[in-house]
Amino acid sequence: MSLFAPAKPLRRFIDNWVESHNPPIRDSVLLHNRRLYILPTRFGYLFAIMLLFLFLAAINYQNSMAFVLTFMLTSLGIISLWHTHRNLLGVTVRMQIPRPVFCGESCEFKFELSHDNTSKRYAIGVQYLEQPTVYLKLEPEGRAEARLKIPTHIRGEFKPAGITVFTRYPTGLFHAWAWLKYDLPVLIYPRPATNVKLQHSMVEQYDGQTSTSTIEGDDFAGLREHREGESLRHISWKAYAQGKGLLTKTFQGQARPALWIDWDLLTQGSLEEKLSFMSALVLAAESEEQKYGIRLPGLVIEQGFGNAHKHNCLQTLALFRQPDGDPEFRPANA
Amino acid sequence: MPSAGENLSMRSIPQEVSSRTGVFAVCFCFLFSIAPHFINLPFWVVVIVLVALAWRGLQNLGKIRELPKWMLIPLVLCGGIGVFAEYWTIVGRDAGLALLTVMTAFKFLESSRQRDMLILVFLCYFLIATHFLYSQSIFTAVMMFVTLIVITATLITLNQRDDSVSAIDRIRHSSKLVALSVPLMLILFVLVPRVPGPLWGLQSEQRGGVTGLSDHMSPGKISNLIRSNKVAFRVDFEDQVPAQNKLYWRGPVMAHYDGFSWRQAPRRPLGRLNITVAEPKIDYTVTLEPNGKRWLLALDIPTRLIAGSLMSADLQLTSKQKINDLKRYSMQSHLSYLIGVHESPDYLALAREYPADSNPQTIAFGRSLAQRFDNPQDIAEAVLTMFHQQEYVYTLQPPALGRNSVDDFLFGTRRGFCEHYAGSFALVMRSAGIPARVVTGYQGGEYNRVGNYLIVRQSDAHAWTEIWLDQRGWVRVDPTAAVSPSRIEQGLDNALSGEDSSFRIQNRNPIFGNLLYSWDNPQHGWNDWVLNYDQRKQRDFLKQLEIGIENWSDMVFAPVFMLVSVTGLFWFIAWWRERPAQPQAYEITFNRLLKKLAKKGFHKRPAEDTRAFLQRLPQEGLAQHGQIARIVELYNHIKYGRRGASTQALGNLRTMINSIE
Repeated sequence: MSLFAPAKPLRRFIDNWVESHNPPIRDSVLLHNRRLYILPTRFGYLFAIMLLFLFLAAINYQNSMAFVLTFMLTSLGIISLWHTHRNLLGVTVRMQIPRPVFCGESCEFKFELSHDNTSKRYAIGVQYLEQPTVYLKLEPEGRAEARLKIPTHIRGEFKPAGITVFTRYPTGLFHAWAWLKYDLPVLIYPRPATNVKLQHSMVEQYDGQTSTSTIEGDDFAGLREHREGESLRHISWKAYAQGKGLLTKTFQGQARPALWIDWDLLTQGSLEEKLSFMSALVLAAESEEQKYGIRLPGLVIEQGFGNAHKHNCLQTLALFRQPDGDPEFRPANA
Repeated sequence: MPSAGENLSMRSIPQEVSSRTGVFAVCFCFLFSIAPHFINLPFWVVVIVLVALAWRGLQNLGKIRELPKWMLIPLVLCGGIGVFAEYWTIVGRDAGLALLTVMTAFKFLESSRQRDMLILVFLCYFLIATHFLYSQSIFTAVMMFVTLIVITATLITLNQRDDSVSAIDRIRHSSKLVALSVPLMLILFVLVPRVPGPLWGLQSEQRGGVTGLSDHMSPGKISNLIRSNKVAFRVDFEDQVPAQNKLYWRGPVMAHYDGFSWRQAPRRPLGRLNITVAEPKIDYTVTLEPNGKRWLLALDIPTRLIAGSLMSADLQLTSKQKINDLKRYSMQSHLSYLIGVHESPDYLALAREYPADSNPQTIAFGRSLAQRFDNPQDIAEAVLTMFHQQEYVYTLQPPALGRNSVDDFLFGTRRGFCEHYAGSFALVMRSAGIPARVVTGYQGGEYNRVGNYLIVRQSDAHAWTEIWLDQRGWVRVDPTAAVSPSRIEQGLDNALSGEDSSFRIQNRNPIFGNLLYSWDNPQHGWNDWVLNYDQRKQRDFLKQLEIGIENWSDMVFAPVFMLVSVTGLFWFIAWWRERPAQPQAYEITFNRLLKKLAKKGFHKRPAEDTRAFLQRLPQEGLAQHGQIARIVELYNHIKYGRRGASTQALGNLRTMINSIE
């Protein structure tokens, strides 16, 4: 791949060394001298070879101006080493906890780079593993956001792998970089199986009776004030048109049965297929506005409803018997 | 496997296609670097450069398609053959430059990736060096800095990934980089040990059209040279500058005469100089402009050898190598001397030879003189008196002479320049049986009163004779002095006041004379300190500085030490300016609260805002939530309030936090 890439043992040594000197970061980190590394690029080495030739030519021709040029370019190289390093120095990199996604979707990593210096920063690359690089520019005392969309292929909770923040500005002769390992959770829910309907055979119904007014039921019982989070389907638009504000229709009578999404009722499929199925059932139950709970071997989530409950259930499914071989988050194509 | 030393190798970036702005920048950069060479390149190479750049520019605009790849190989071959046809070689200065230029131009046609663009920029850097093979003047040096700024700005453009930045901003940034490099460059220039070259023998080629003394002399040769106002060399004297009429700068000595021109007779190097001197020695330093030959000019008679030089038996100082670069040497001379008293009979016989079949009148005249006088000195006096008293004219525009040129001059036109007088005088002496030879060189020089040194120009070129007398050896006789004493006393301009020949600064403009001398001054300093900064000069200078650099290991250590310390200083300044802000006093106090809470088992979540954390504590069962609420209020007041951290507020915060157990 590269003529100048270090040999493997050396590379492993550098990797270990860099890793042991870069403790995990909780949310944001200031790039300072001890976090930054700098080495010549391939063009840096090429430049050095050119300088060597110039120097030999200057000696051979005893040409003083050729010496001046050689030393001038050498100095330019040294100055650009310093400038490349400075382009990253003092930049704060904050990573947000990525929103959980379903396996198969892209997980979005958001980095906010900022600095409070009066200089401009150009061409700062943010790269996650082999993913395409996003380049940012920082205005004086400015901030910028890098969004990396990373394809997912496995459910579970992970830590991000090391993120590289690098620059080669201004001359491209040097590559300065920081290796940042964030101690943040990356949550990937099981991929919901497709074409899953809430069939009663798959779930254990809970047939307790209720007489309180709910938004589910058969007989109209009256109107009450709309609460945030309730479906718009139950709003009495007629009342709204009359200027009474947002009111929710309530119904009296037998509530629709609460469900148990039960591991033991699923007889076919592998672990992942079962979780995938259960994840689809959670979504179906949520969209049909039924109360539901989850039963897993040795683990029960009481019945409930709403966004927080849904995420709780999906998280439980994501973490269930997670193969803990590689807690580091790797994209699908890595 | 995690790869922490990520991007040690440059994966994808060089494969990227360069931006449109980047391509234009590189095109301009190449044009800028090569344009000063257009006069040195064959016309067709210039055309290729312009066409290739125009093609690449139009392609960049989407007006024309990329050149098909298969056409490149034939084009490159044609370019190489073209260069070979032009120079019959592809190495050497001119052919090498033409080849490099043609190949770079073709490279443009196939370049679109970032990697190719960077390589082209490096080629432009390299091209700067080729300018110095043609000229090392101050102007060329200034152009180097300008070109460096342009090329570096191009490099910045390619690496910036932001086409919205204006060209002026990029130039400004690259000027800053170049300016910051200058101090480091000076350190390296002064301190990096100079290795005496050349490392390999490619030195035979002559650079540029140099003018100077020739290895033979015939009528008209020197008067041509005289028309050039170019500086031949500059001289710094240790003490007083000797009188003008003593400044005979000895160059090629010619003892071989074929009836028309004088040539050097091959002579062995002198083993030992037998000289009797009367006056104290004169020390001086010569900065010799390249003359393309081996002559080292020195005051008559040089009594010291420099490294890489020889003195032949006819007391001519020559370098072992051709002088294609500025050369500086310290020399020592004695102006009053007895030399060659024991000259070899073979050489004296040679110095009496002349072809008997040409210039019969002159030969007859010489023989008659030999019969009239016994003493050789009287014969010489008689000829000089003849030059002085008869109608001989010293002029830059002598009439054309026939086949017997000396006869025509002595007995016909009687108008001539120094080579006419020296040549005919030597022939008369030889025909009278006195050994004689012609010495060419320079006479006089122009004193720069501003810089306190002497400028000798090509227009000071001169020819005189030496005759050999028993007991006295070789004696200088300058027949021109007999014809035109003012040439020797005051210089050429005074001798030729009627003719159009104002070469000297004083004469060109008496009022601005000083100004013009001041202009020659930096040139002399430039030669002295930049172009001539070689191993010896460096050693002397470092000794003079008295900073303890005495031997080789010091000379290696010194530049490394200076580089590391200067870079370290830059690094420290950068670190100091970017260092993390010190936490405020209230932050330190507040962090104690967070520690206390952590001890109780209340941990701040990653990425959680401090205020949100403190606000959720009461719900999680912290007993002292009322107090916590007040602390948060005070903390916010200090941090975001208009009055900031007053001592009293800070004290309150401290007390409140201390009270939390």
